[in-house]
Amino acid sequence: MDCYTANWNPLGDSAFYRKYELYSMDWDLKEELRDCLVAAAPYGGPIALLRNPWRKEKAASVRPVLDIYSASGMPLASLLEVLQNRVLDARIFHTEFGSGVAILTGAHRFTLSANVGDLKLRRMPEVPGLQSAPSCWTVLCQDRVAHILLAVGPDLYLLDHAACSAVTPPGLAPGVSSFLQMAVSFTYRHLALFTDTGYIWMGTASLKEKLCEFNCNIRAPPKQMVWCSRPRSKERAVVVAWERRLMVVGDAPESIQFVLDEDSYLVPELDGVRIFSRSTHEFLHEVPAASEEIFKIASMAPGALLLEAQKEYEKESQKADEYLREIQELGQLTQAVQQCIEAAGHEHQPDMQKSLLRAASFGKCFLDRFPPDSFVHMCQDLRVLNAVRDYHIGIPLTYSQYKQLTIQVLLDRLVLRRLYPLAIQICEYLRLPEVQGVSRILAHWACYKVQQKDVSDEDVARAINQKLGDTPGVSYSDIAARAYGCGRTELAIKLLEYEPRSGEQVPLLLKMKRSKLALSKAIESGDTDLVFTVLLHLKNELNRGDFFMTLRNQPMALSLYRQFCKHQELETLKDLYNQDDNHQELGSFHIRASYAAEERIEGRVAALQTAADAFYKAKNEFAAKATEDQMRLLRLQRRLEDELGGQFLDLSLHDTVTTLILGGHNKRAEQLARDFRIPDKRLWWLKLTALADLEDWEELEKFSKSKKSPIGYLPFVEICMKQHNKYEAKKYASRVGPEQKVKALLLVGDVAQAADVAIEHRNEAELSLVLSHCTGATDGATADKIQRARAQAQKK
Amino acid sequence: MAFPHRPDAPELPDFSMLKRLARDQLIYLLEQLPGKKDLFIEADLMSPLDRIANVSILKQHEVDKLYKVENKPALSSNEQLCFLVRPRIKNMRYIASLVNADKLAGRTRKYKVIFSPQKFYACEMVLEEEGIYGDVSCDEWAFSLLPLDVDLLSMELPEFFRDYFLEGDQRWINTVAQALHLLSTLYGPFPNCYGIGRCAKMAYELWRNLEEEEDGETKGRRPEIGHIFLLDRGISVSDVDFVTALCSQVVYEGLVDDTFRIKCGSVDFGPEVTSSDKSLKVLLNAEDKVFNEIRNEHFSNVFGFLSQKARNLQAQYDRRRGMDIKQMKNFVSQELKGLKQEHRLLSLHIGACESIMKKKTKQDFQELIKTEHALLEGFNIRESTSYIEEHIDRQVSPIESLRLMCLLSITENGLIPKDYRSLKTQYLQSYGPEHLLTFSNLRRAGLLTEQAPGDTLTAVESKVSKLVTDKAAGKITDAFSSLAKRSNFRAISKKLNLIPRVDGEYDLKVPRDMAYVFGGAYVPLSCRIIEQVLERRSWQGLDEVVRLLNCSDFAFTDMTKEDKASSESLRLILVVFLGGCTFSEISALRFLGREKGYRFIFLTTAVTNSARLMEAMSEVKA
Repeated sequence: MDCYTANWNPLGDSAFYRKYELYSMDWDLKEELRDCLVAAAPYGGPIALLRNPWRKEKAASVRPVLDIYSASGMPLASLLEVLQNRVLDARIFHTEFGSGVAILTGAHRFTLSANVGDLKLRRMPEVPGLQSAPSCWTVLCQDRVAHILLAVGPDLYLLDHAACSAVTPPGLAPGVSSFLQMAVSFTYRHLALFTDTGYIWMGTASLKEKLCEFNCNIRAPPKQMVWCSRPRSKERAVVVAWERRLMVVGDAPESIQFVLDEDSYLVPELDGVRIFSRSTHEFLHEVPAASEEIFKIASMAPGALLLEAQKEYEKESQKADEYLREIQELGQLTQAVQQCIEAAGHEHQPDMQKSLLRAASFGKCFLDRFPPDSFVHMCQDLRVLNAVRDYHIGIPLTYSQYKQLTIQVLLDRLVLRRLYPLAIQICEYLRLPEVQGVSRILAHWACYKVQQKDVSDEDVARAINQKLGDTPGVSYSDIAARAYGCGRTELAIKLLEYEPRSGEQVPLLLKMKRSKLALSKAIESGDTDLVFTVLLHLKNELNRGDFFMTLRNQPMALSLYRQFCKHQELETLKDLYNQDDNHQELGSFHIRASYAAEERIEGRVAALQTAADAFYKAKNEFAAKATEDQMRLLRLQRRLEDELGGQFLDLSLHDTVTTLILGGHNKRAEQLARDFRIPDKRLWWLKLTALADLEDWEELEKFSKSKKSPIGYLPFVEICMKQHNKYEAKKYASRVGPEQKVKALLLVGDVAQAADVAIEHRNEAELSLVLSHCTGATDGATADKIQRARAQAQKK
Repeated sequence: MAFPHRPDAPELPDFSMLKRLARDQLIYLLEQLPGKKDLFIEADLMSPLDRIANVSILKQHEVDKLYKVENKPALSSNEQLCFLVRPRIKNMRYIASLVNADKLAGRTRKYKVIFSPQKFYACEMVLEEEGIYGDVSCDEWAFSLLPLDVDLLSMELPEFFRDYFLEGDQRWINTVAQALHLLSTLYGPFPNCYGIGRCAKMAYELWRNLEEEEDGETKGRRPEIGHIFLLDRGISVSDVDFVTALCSQVVYEGLVDDTFRIKCGSVDFGPEVTSSDKSLKVLLNAEDKVFNEIRNEHFSNVFGFLSQKARNLQAQYDRRRGMDIKQMKNFVSQELKGLKQEHRLLSLHIGACESIMKKKTKQDFQELIKTEHALLEGFNIRESTSYIEEHIDRQVSPIESLRLMCLLSITENGLIPKDYRSLKTQYLQSYGPEHLLTFSNLRRAGLLTEQAPGDTLTAVESKVSKLVTDKAAGKITDAFSSLAKRSNFRAISKKLNLIPRVDGEYDLKVPRDMAYVFGGAYVPLSCRIIEQVLERRSWQGLDEVVRLLNCSDFAFTDMTKEDKASSESLRLILVVFLGGCTFSEISALRFLGREKGYRFIFLTTAVTNSARLMEAMSEVKA
């Protein structure tokens, strides 16, 4: 146990700092780090090196190469760097909107972009009197706004979008003639300043409060200065690095000093500092409270006792029981288990993690109701962390960083590094929902796969389908879109075939100019809006003839388009019918036009003529003849209006004749009936009704006697009764034939006679009909008579 | 008299939730345009809207004035205009004219278009073509299911019928699929699905796709409704099921619809019914106790029932006579209100009956029904044809004449060429030449067709008929048709026994089968199919019928495990009519339900009847 705290260094009374190795570097650098431009991404991110950027003697044609390595020194990528001469210096900063960059240009002006994703550069106001580069500067982020703090000689300036103002840190020791370094903490809450007097000021980033100060008495400018603190800790410390010296200073009179054997580079992290050199990569951080409690020499904390108890238990020693009792007597077992679990999270070595977790597990056995989640989750998280910390992956995340980063972001990073199998294993291990987990990663894999130009379309498509199958949440159309983006149209079409939702296929097919295929897919989807979208595409893309031909083969799309044209583009509708030689519909089209579009009688007749011609072509002689009749009728109605006045246009033939009779133009009516070959039956009905309406009973009687009625005489009775003329009705009732006699007599209300006729006919139906007309007392006798006749009939 | 439900009949789900959902969504949309606004409502949406949110609710959400969308310039002076419309191109042009007029006058207002039940791309495109797409904001009010009654949901989309069955336009099918999806999220899943018809199959597949995209929600839920049955109004290419919709309705509710037109579950009774000088809007549903007892009755029973009811009511009133003060107080406070309400309803329905009787006897209703029955049975075709001819010659009613012609055509599998020509000529002479277009529509929809000229029998027959007198020709025609058995309708009605053989009088008071809804003459095809499939739980054994209906590719079943479905839910059946259903069909299925212990729930694109069907096919001069 004693050796475990060997690398712990106290700072002041309350905090320890420890430094341990993460990796020994694999990168085999030829250059010294000081000869390279170095940058590293936070959260255990990769390291970028630009070699010899300052060496002028190299030929201008040789462009420097930017190499990217993992945190363990595995080469990840190389890219050619584009030289930007005008940039003197730059700082990267992170806000909730993403990563921003601030640039100091050759003209000593600052330019800022809040998000490197969309490079909107914003020039900051000029700093008055700034002739040379500031001695040091940094970006402060406050209230979501980025400011620049810069030091010129003994003065500090704060630069925001509007103005530049001088600021003074409170409680700054006197005698400063220049600031050599400044550092903002990871959370942008704190600021540290290093002056030429070897004095370090630490305070809030708002420059309103001083936290502490330290005098290190080294006047040489430090190479780097970064904050080293952990979330939720009260301790504040900065790490200052010179060529061969590393110093941790905080709110304590003494500092911790380390000797650096090689050129080193500091990377500030959420909960500590990464330090890497040519050969090693180390992590320096404040020892977390839980670890401190457990491992501090002679600690009597419950966690420490539990760890001890478990060790004794493994040795099968009775001391285990003693330790356990001690914890239990104090009622601290729960706390002990929690401590062990928490401390395990902060350990880098799997062995130590294991023994802490074993202790926790051991302690749990003696607790009744300890919720298992924290233990289980810690085991899972550590497993994931150990996997990504592996040398080959090289992401040295700490537990706190991992929780801050979230599993989703970690997976994204693995995916970007194409570590698909590991990412999938993690998803499966953590049982993440497919849509967020495995499917998403497979989709990324597929998108990468389609970029492999050396593999044939068939093979790629098959490989993707084999792996992806029907995994929910995988969008084949997205993958296809990626394939199309890489110029592999054929592959995209093949992939789209696997897309189960035909609606999803359409937009991409349109983009790839496969409009006809898109049309059939849209029709398959049953979504008429989609079909319509494709139609409009096609209409613009094809010439009219081809467009119509395409429609012709797709009846569903054709009806949809026709419906649209009917309301919005009548001429197109006509063209459509013409194209199809659909003379029947063309005829109908012109008929409709003769009512709706044309107003002048000549125009209407002309439209009808066109319609009739079309009907002849359609071999629909009936419609053609009917249309021609209508032309004749229209002309005639026009003439009638001119000659007789009144309203004739657009009446039906029947109504035209009726109107003539009602107007007393019997001759003309007769003529019209002959011209248009109105059948006798209709004519008789027509005249009968019209004359009765006129109450011209004399004329009606004359008419009834003109020849034998083709409709019989019952209608005469009916119509007269409708006009309430019983007298006239009775006249005709006598002329009604025997079959309808009963009905006629009933109509004129002669129930008694109707009964006689019915009895005479011996017709059962007629008898009951009469009977149903017998009302109350008046027809009592008749009813009896019928009943008697019925009885008689039955006897026979 | 009115048959009660069997005691074990399952409870119906509560569909009022659909109303609440629609109301909340509408309010949300109105609130999207804060402040005072004028609301322009499309005429077709007024009645459905009224059932969801009345004027006071609209006022609460700062709707100032209400206007009807019509082809007139708007007089609104409000700064914010909101349009509530169906997604139709003519509405878009109306809105565009309004906005463009404002632009010309240099006026800027806020415009919002709410499409119900959904917007179509074509509409947005018209807005764009008219140059106002950027000036209006568009929204959707996904209000597609209106509960008209406890067992009847209507989509209130009468245009579905014409759009799909005449124009071949499939855009509403997606709307149906979405409505089904909504139902299954609220009341589903449905363990058993059956369907027949091209449109039914399409709707079903789209619905399934929606469910798959969003699966997981209904999984593990206990089904409330055991079966769902989808069918097309015009089931097959020959569309024999139009017969049901074309027959005169004789069940009270259907008859009220035929006579007064029930609109969105309510009817306007005119002065001749209310026996006062004003009209009265009456809601017709299960809440009206009097109506509920007579709605499914054959009309011939209704009068007797109503007079019995009147006597009972009188007796209850009469009880007052012997009462002391305390009893009287009780009577007045507890019973009188109910009695008065019942009295009011009773007199309304008696008024309606009288009015129906008057109208029907005028046109010799008996004669009409007789002709219809003859057409159904295929007797005396010649006589029926003459009857129709006379009907046309007398200009009785353009819609009625057309209906009879279609009925003749479908039952006879098309008119013989001579009749086809002459009836059409007569019709054009009576009702106007523009109906040439109507005939073209009817032929396209398969409602009024000509028998194939290649039919040798027809050729022989027409030759023969030239040689003999009219009457003899009729007999010969009859003989030929029975010989050829060429009518699809005949074959199906024989196969499914749609026309019951009756010895003696069919007792309409105690119906034996669903045929009572047509006076014992005909069992609606749709209802018979549903009965048969439910009995078999599949299409098995109905192959011949399906073949005759030309629906071999469009009859489907989809059963999932029933272990989760309670026996109660398995007796609840949702029937979806694509293209509309009639009250006669509803009554017939309610009867079947009572017989078998099922309960049916009806979902229709709209309630229809023969007149609506014919009007949808007619071309009217603009």
